Amino acid sequence: MIHRLVMGAAALALALLAAASGAQAFDDSEYPNFKGQWRRMPVPGVRGQISFDQHKDWGKGQGAPLTPEYQAIYEANLKTQAKGDSGEWLGISCLGFGMPIMMYGGEPIEIIITPATTYILLNWVEHGRRIYTDGRDWPEDIEPTLQGYSIGKWVDTDGDGKFDVLEVETRGFKGPRHYDASQLPLHRDNKSVFKERFYLNKDNPTILHDEITVIDNALTRPWTVVREYQRNAEVRPAWREFICAEGNGHVRIGNENYYMSADGLLMPVRKDQPPPDLRYFPWAQK
Amino acid sequence: MNGQSVTRAFILAAALLMAIGSAQAFDDSKYPNLKGQWERFVVRGVPGQPSFDQTKGWGALQGAPLTPEYQAIFEENVKEQDAGGLGLGADHARCVAAGMPFMMVAFRPLEFIVTPETTYIIIADYDPLRRIFTDGRDWPKEIEPTFQGYSIGKWIDTDGDGKYDVLEVETRGFKGPRVYEIRGLPLHRDNQSVFKERFYLDKNDPNLLHDEITVIDNALTRPWTVDKRYVRNPDLHAEWPESICPEYNANVVIGGENFFLSADGLLMPSRKGQLPPDVRYFDKRRE
Repeated sequence: MIHRLVMGAAALALALLAAASGAQAFDDSEYPNFKGQWRRMPVPGVRGQISFDQHKDWGKGQGAPLTPEYQAIYEANLKTQAKGDSGEWLGISCLGFGMPIMMYGGEPIEIIITPATTYILLNWVEHGRRIYTDGRDWPEDIEPTLQGYSIGKWVDTDGDGKFDVLEVETRGFKGPRHYDASQLPLHRDNKSVFKERFYLNKDNPTILHDEITVIDNALTRPWTVVREYQRNAEVRPAWREFICAEGNGHVRIGNENYYMSADGLLMPVRKDQPPPDLRYFPWAQK
Repeated sequence: MNGQSVTRAFILAAALLMAIGSAQAFDDSKYPNLKGQWERFVVRGVPGQPSFDQTKGWGALQGAPLTPEYQAIFEENVKEQDAGGLGLGADHARCVAAGMPFMMVAFRPLEFIVTPETTYIIIADYDPLRRIFTDGRDWPKEIEPTFQGYSIGKWIDTDGDGKYDVLEVETRGFKGPRVYEIRGLPLHRDNQSVFKERFYLDKNDPNLLHDEITVIDNALTRPWTVDKRYVRNPDLHAEWPESICPEYNANVVIGGENFFLSADGLLMPSRKGQLPPDVRYFDKRRE
């Protein structure tokens, strides 16, 4: 018993020493320069709202290789939305979008590279991603999240002694999640795997590519798109504070979505929607 | 006109070159090691929820030097909370950002990322993060007011050993309402608060981080200083929980009234005898 306690104390002391030690040499010139403020690169002529493949229109225009089952789920969801409901899109009530919508880049993105972790600060409904590059293995148990658990590896593809590509794999999701604002769905089993390659454009280092391949059971084959972000030329750009709940008129009660009117009262989102169940206010029942 | 355009183009090109340049040498051994996951230092026996001064109980026990006007506002809010309402914590309860200084309470663990230009504090709770600019910039002529404010910092080598050991930060440019803690201790509604902070590792224990905060605010009779502390998690691969406020928040504010969501997702009263929300916008024939 005493032996175990001593061993435990020694392990704790080692861990604390490692955390507090000054051995932190970091030559950031070995990494590509992702500094600055990045925004989604607009593609002229593309129609619709938030999309996954930014080079194509949202919704059906994306050409997502959905299985027949998920094509039917999507079509049913579109019918629900046509009646005015926001479907099962959680982000609209500030409940989080998850991968891959969170990488949309409508609000500016910042990427911070350290040897152990690359941080993607999102400033949207989600606040950020941590991509671990410290050589760790996949944990035995991953607590499912909307953003998933990301492990990355820096690669020197051209052999010049400097890293130029960050390869990332992300697993461990919960849902529901979608590709775009039309609610193109990912599979409800949440077994999606994302493989990403982040790299600067060879001819224009103010363009960042995120080549994303989605492996998901709602797809007939892996689906790859190349997302592009543009660096703000402003060296000290303004960073807006985005607080989703501030001024958001969407409320979710039970499994139903409602609006808040300008006078703060509940409103239906679709024709003939019943009011919320008020059974816990028995003294107010007529 | 042409001259102006050429000048602008030159400035833009210079800015782009600065942004994409490869001159990014960064010797992080000059900075204190703030790596890891920092959790709120818990002082045993202190009553109430996490407070601004961690060594004292929340609310009135904090001993905040409030002006008589703001003492009265605080007491009114306490009466409302004791009756089942949210008082001055209402906005926070519906997932609006806490802002300074409540955002530094560390309900969820904090992470510090130090770079030469900016120190980031990832909050991962109601508030996303703080950026503390250490690139030598001056205060902007106009600051867009935010809950977190605009922070400018400076690294100091206080003991002359050639390494920085203290980050001094000043933060201004707020919007509100903001409170010190969920009991509703208020900051002034003019939002002219100024925060001066000193972040440093404890000299005897490098796994203890101090954030010495001085608040200068018109709701106070004098500047108020507290020493907030955070403890480093020894787990080098500590888990970072995903925190999405509305996901675990059971409060719903409708028409200025707070309601709870029950476990079965239905609306519940938050206080005895509370009337249900007004549903006048729903078709009565459906009821």
